[in-house]
Amino acid sequence: MKQTKDLTRLADEELMHVAQGGDPHAFELLYDRHGGAAFSLAYRMVGTRAVAEDIVQEAFLSIWRSKVRYERERASVRTWVLGIVHHRTIDALRRNLVHERRRASAEGIEERLGARELTDVEAVRREEAREVRAALSTLPGEQSRVIELAYYGGFTHTQIAEMLDMPVGTVKGRMRLGLEKMRREMTGATA
Amino acid sequence: MSRDHEQYEENVGAYLLGALPELEAEVFERHLDSCGSCRRELEQLRVASEALPRAVEPVVPPPELKESLMKTVWAEAAQREEAQPKRRWLRPFLERLPRLTPAIAAAAAVCVLAIGVGLGIGLSQIGGGNSKTLTALVDHSVAPSGAASLHVPGDRKNALLTVQGLPAPGAGRVYEVWVQRGGTMQPAGALFSVGTGGSGSAGIPGSLKGVEAVAVTAEHDGGALKPTQMPVLTVKLS
Repeated sequence: MKQTKDLTRLADEELMHVAQGGDPHAFELLYDRHGGAAFSLAYRMVGTRAVAEDIVQEAFLSIWRSKVRYERERASVRTWVLGIVHHRTIDALRRNLVHERRRASAEGIEERLGARELTDVEAVRREEAREVRAALSTLPGEQSRVIELAYYGGFTHTQIAEMLDMPVGTVKGRMRLGLEKMRREMTGATA
Repeated sequence: MSRDHEQYEENVGAYLLGALPELEAEVFERHLDSCGSCRRELEQLRVASEALPRAVEPVVPPPELKESLMKTVWAEAAQREEAQPKRRWLRPFLERLPRLTPAIAAAAAVCVLAIGVGLGIGLSQIGGGNSKTLTALVDHSVAPSGAASLHVPGDRKNALLTVQGLPAPGAGRVYEVWVQRGGTMQPAGALFSVGTGGSGSAGIPGSLKGVEAVAVTAEHDGGALKPTQMPVLTVKLS
């Protein structure tokens, strides 16, 4: 299909512009490029496939319907898409008062990408994931814990303070220090 | 640094992690508008917070998700098409024309440059109804190898500006796109920077109907309400 072949040569930013102009082919390619990461993040946060599917579907439809416009100077397309998914997942978690979710245990394990299925792009992303996890692992436990509870768990600083029985100011401080340490690890910055 | 900085500076990490409740996040965003110190720290720490989704173990989404999503997308695209009907006798002909994509627009701009038409106003119509690609007038004292083109769709909405060979706008600065209406420059609502080779692009939201020219200046981060610099490039539309 010539039209789709032409689109595949486009960088994400150009593809996003064409997609938000109303081209379904461009939108489909965007989903192919970023839908997996979006689903993985939502699934990591909610732990159930059905909820993760709903979140990703609504996030991508909001992009298609141009309810949110991409601004290239702010972030890459991937970062922007994942930011939308993260916000929507937090909204979904906070609407659920019980905050009940099943962590990815038996469910879905068989669908995780195996080494034989890795494409070059996926291999690069796995390497990136290893680097980020390595940076996270250098943090003191009390810092990585508040970061993970906030980012992946969708908990507010006050909820985390209650859970860990510590002042809100301490929780906020650990989040800030933890991110700063991660940044230094990832960028090689010394201060 | 604003006077209430100390009250808010601890919120930077919580804000980036999505850990502030909605109301607190809105208050913090208002503080950011007036606090350069928090904005700088936010931009620094963003590197770490934006990396967090990449640490997630990849999981294959079910094929049904894409099927369901694309079913809705195609249905809505068809509705949009019906809302803007083409004349039936023209439809088979139009559908055979090559579609205008930014890649084609960029390629067209490169071709124009290759034959030495770097300055002046060029107009090339490359299929797809009334879509046009206009070549920009670039200030070569600022950008000696600069070139730019503006792709304007037939309905004049959501135009795409593509640039090459532009210098970086400078620390703490971005390129801002302006539209000239009735002789007055107005923000187009598009900021961009440039990457390797000075290349970049910016989508111009809304319609260019009534717009006489599109221009680009280097402005402080966040943009300006009026141009403070001479344009690095200009595209005349009328």
